[in-house]
Amino acid sequence: MKKLMLSCAALAFGASAALADEVRVYNWSDYIDEALLEKFEAETGIDLVYDVFDSNEVLETKLLAGGSGYDVVVPTGTFLARQIQAGVFQPLDRSKLPNIGNMWDVIEARTAQYDPENAYSINYMWGTTGIGVNVGKVQEILGADAPIASLGLIFDPGNMEKLAACGVHFLDAPTEMIPAALTYLGEDPDAKDAEALEKAEAALSAVRPHIQKFHSSEYINALANGDICVAFGWSGDILQARDRAAEAENGVEIAYNAPNEGALMWFDQMAIPADAPNPEAAHIFLNFIMDAQNMADASNYVYYANGNEASKEFLVEDVIGDTAIYPDEAALENLYTVTTWGPRDQRTLTRTWTRIKSGT
Amino acid sequence: MAETIFAPWDDPTEKPLIRFRNVTKRFGAFTAIDDLTLDIFEREFFALLGPSGCGKTTMMRMLAGFETPSEGTIELAGQDIAAVPPNKRAVNMMFQSYALFPHLSVYDNIAFGLRRDSLPRADIDARVGEMLKLTRLEKFARRKPHQISGGQRQRVALARSLAKAPKLLLLDEPLGALDAKLRQATQFELMDIQEKTGTTFVIVTHDQEEAMTVASRVAVMDEGRVMQVATPERIYEAPESVYVADFIGDVNIVPGTARAVGDGLFQLNWAEDTVPFIAASEGAFSEGQACHLAIRPEKIAISAERPPEAENAVHGKVLDIAYLGNLSTYHVELPGGQVIKAQTANTRRISRRSFTWEDPVWVSWTKTAGVLLDQ
Amino acid sequence: MQRFVLIAVPYTWLLALFLIPFVIVFKISLSDIALSIPPYTPTLEDGFGPFFSALDFENFVFLTTDDLYWKAYVSSLRIAVTSTAITLLVGYPIAYAMARAPEEWRATLMMLVILPFWTSFLIRVYAWMGILSQEGVLNQVLLWLGVIDAPLTILNTTTAVYIGIVYTYLPFMVLPIYAALDRLDGALIEAAEDLGCSRVQAFWLVTIPLSKNGIIAGSFLVFIPALGEFVIPSLLGGSGTLMIGKVLWEEFFNNRDWPVASAVAVILLLILIIPIILFQRNQQRQEEA
Repeated sequence: MKKLMLSCAALAFGASAALADEVRVYNWSDYIDEALLEKFEAETGIDLVYDVFDSNEVLETKLLAGGSGYDVVVPTGTFLARQIQAGVFQPLDRSKLPNIGNMWDVIEARTAQYDPENAYSINYMWGTTGIGVNVGKVQEILGADAPIASLGLIFDPGNMEKLAACGVHFLDAPTEMIPAALTYLGEDPDAKDAEALEKAEAALSAVRPHIQKFHSSEYINALANGDICVAFGWSGDILQARDRAAEAENGVEIAYNAPNEGALMWFDQMAIPADAPNPEAAHIFLNFIMDAQNMADASNYVYYANGNEASKEFLVEDVIGDTAIYPDEAALENLYTVTTWGPRDQRTLTRTWTRIKSGT
Repeated sequence: MAETIFAPWDDPTEKPLIRFRNVTKRFGAFTAIDDLTLDIFEREFFALLGPSGCGKTTMMRMLAGFETPSEGTIELAGQDIAAVPPNKRAVNMMFQSYALFPHLSVYDNIAFGLRRDSLPRADIDARVGEMLKLTRLEKFARRKPHQISGGQRQRVALARSLAKAPKLLLLDEPLGALDAKLRQATQFELMDIQEKTGTTFVIVTHDQEEAMTVASRVAVMDEGRVMQVATPERIYEAPESVYVADFIGDVNIVPGTARAVGDGLFQLNWAEDTVPFIAASEGAFSEGQACHLAIRPEKIAISAERPPEAENAVHGKVLDIAYLGNLSTYHVELPGGQVIKAQTANTRRISRRSFTWEDPVWVSWTKTAGVLLDQ
Repeated sequence: MQRFVLIAVPYTWLLALFLIPFVIVFKISLSDIALSIPPYTPTLEDGFGPFFSALDFENFVFLTTDDLYWKAYVSSLRIAVTSTAITLLVGYPIAYAMARAPEEWRATLMMLVILPFWTSFLIRVYAWMGILSQEGVLNQVLLWLGVIDAPLTILNTTTAVYIGIVYTYLPFMVLPIYAALDRLDGALIEAAEDLGCSRVQAFWLVTIPLSKNGIIAGSFLVFIPALGEFVIPSLLGGSGTLMIGKVLWEEFFNNRDWPVASAVAVILLLILIIPIILFQRNQQRQEEA
């Protein structure tokens, strides 16, 4: 929220005062190495205004209201798809993006289901949604053989009841949680019909009393500080929590696992709004990001995989060698993607989600 | 009048209603009341008179129970009241600001104290009706305090404080907020009500005229001490000190030295090479004792010629004339530079008056016109 | 001319900052959702005729079809009323103590009440997260004192929301009550005691009635923002805290349904306007009486 407020203030100034030699980027919180921002300014001489958000919904509402004043935004694939339909973005001018050849075809093939032919966006990062645990505490509660890589850990009420006192956070994102519940139930994670939603709701409601909070960013600190034991969240965020705990040397050991029943794979895409004040500079920024070294630096910092094949050689072993970040062939098979929710389904989804969260 | 004069203070068998015995009240280092002893009798209309800061309000607040004495005791009907809280005292107070409850109607203000005693409704109604009648407020019973005039508010405050029929009613500058005309009318009204209800009134005022008008006795206070307690006449005619003489009304104070000439008469040598003044005095003065002659301006006559039979006469010239409508005060400068004030009634029109500025005149008075004071 | 300007200023203010935004929101509440910029239809670009014929009350009807909305309104009202009552219970003694404090202290005490406003509201709410969390200051202190054996779960519950609201809006309660009590003539209390009231009776019969306007003003200043509160429940509250501000957020951000969100907002405004009108009436009666 604080970050949200800051960016709102920035926005109020920005919309009218965007200068020709200025580029405004709106990205997720905790999602880049700040050194890269300085490097960009030094290399190009373009002033970079960098704001952050922590939910696709906030970004989307700004984009749909129009006149957001941003040149580059980073929605998730599922959101990107319908934003393209709403006419939010402008097609990329590939002639201005010489580094586009660095991109990884395996990822491009998957992002094409949201952005056909990748005409409007490039992949920034991708990852999985999975389970972060405070290893020590969870094993203390559930025993050494605690199923920390299984959806059973968070969907089996028996486990959750025991974990409740220690604290469990879920993402406040129905588009992530419903597919996870469906996967646990052995259903198609991309199902959007009422019947499937009901089943997912039942599974989530069964464990809801044991969930302390639905939130999409607080769990990073909460995990790292030892305030909670389990978080169902985004891979890179949990890995950041792992590193923060390690740095703090507070005795907290965090582990991330993509659920072995199947994990949602998501893609954060960089795109240029149709009404971007400075599309020229936006292209320069995208090209800068697609530089193999730069992209590698970003991944090395945030512990997310990227869609840039050329960057792999610059990735540190901690990143490229960690199957939690770059899954091996077999694990990749276990990842699934989901499609966009239409307006009618979306309302049912939100309503279901509210009911799950509040019991109303 | 044939009946006996109301003067319980002269009757040694009478028991006072209120007794201050060696009362001292200190606020931090400041002494508001200094070893004060005073009796007030039942049915008295007693005035505490003095400049602001003299301690009169503190005395009243001690009677009401809002302050307790640092030393000494206060008795009400023979009982020490130090430990009795304000709400348990048969004493009511009419506040300077009236302190009417702005959220309550005139009726409810008057009924406020009665309701605290959980009287039956009918009794309350009857008593409030009585009070409204006494203060002529029947028509305003339903109004709120801010909807009535200042004079009416004053009467509501009085009715409210009288409603519980207290043994003692305290009035803190009750007329201070009224204009001069209304104040005079209300003074008589107060006396009337006091007589009708037979309540003992203690009034605090800085207005000497008010004190003189309403009070059976006046206590003149200064710096926490009572300078003199007496009837208004005695306070005016026979002040015991220069302070009292000076505080009440206009006065000429002539300092000098005394010399007894027998028969209760004294000479006052007031300046060199002048004829001494002669004055009668109840108190004795030793030869050469420093003293003051206090004499009221209205007791001094002014004339063009020396009145042949005058006991005291001195020559001077008119320095100033203060025209007060019904009276004029002439400031006459004596050869030694002293100024004597003489007052005459303006029985003639102004254009016909006898003296004007710079006129040489004689001022004269009798030997009993003034009092000799040693302090 | 001068008078005209004097009147025009507040009305222009009202028009620009209340009426025009309200008309816009009301118009959106009569529109339909669309996948476009902006995400509703019709807009004035469609021409006047089609514009007005496309408006209807469909969204308001929709609000009645799902019990979520009225439950959220009721829950918000309950939270707002309860937290206003708690704020009053906490704020009145503070205001009373301030008004009875020696003259030379009052400016300082007033400053202390206002002081938290010098820090960002968000930072203060974040600070509460640090205090109330499982590993937070409060639990640590209570554990250390031996009052409790296991940490209390306060953060992410409705209790934390109450704490947040009471804390945040306390000055809005204290200041008007203080202003009322400050004006109160001390002689009135003495008069009440003189007429036979105990201290406690004098408080109930004189002090409370005479600070009524302060109590009412303070209660509204707390109740109104508390009813639509969003930030405090989303930061301190748990998933069980259902408030209309949250529902409004979800309609706007999750469902992208601006028309329904606007309908929710219009009804919220109506709920707020009723007590405000009652308050105004009461004020007017006071002045006339």
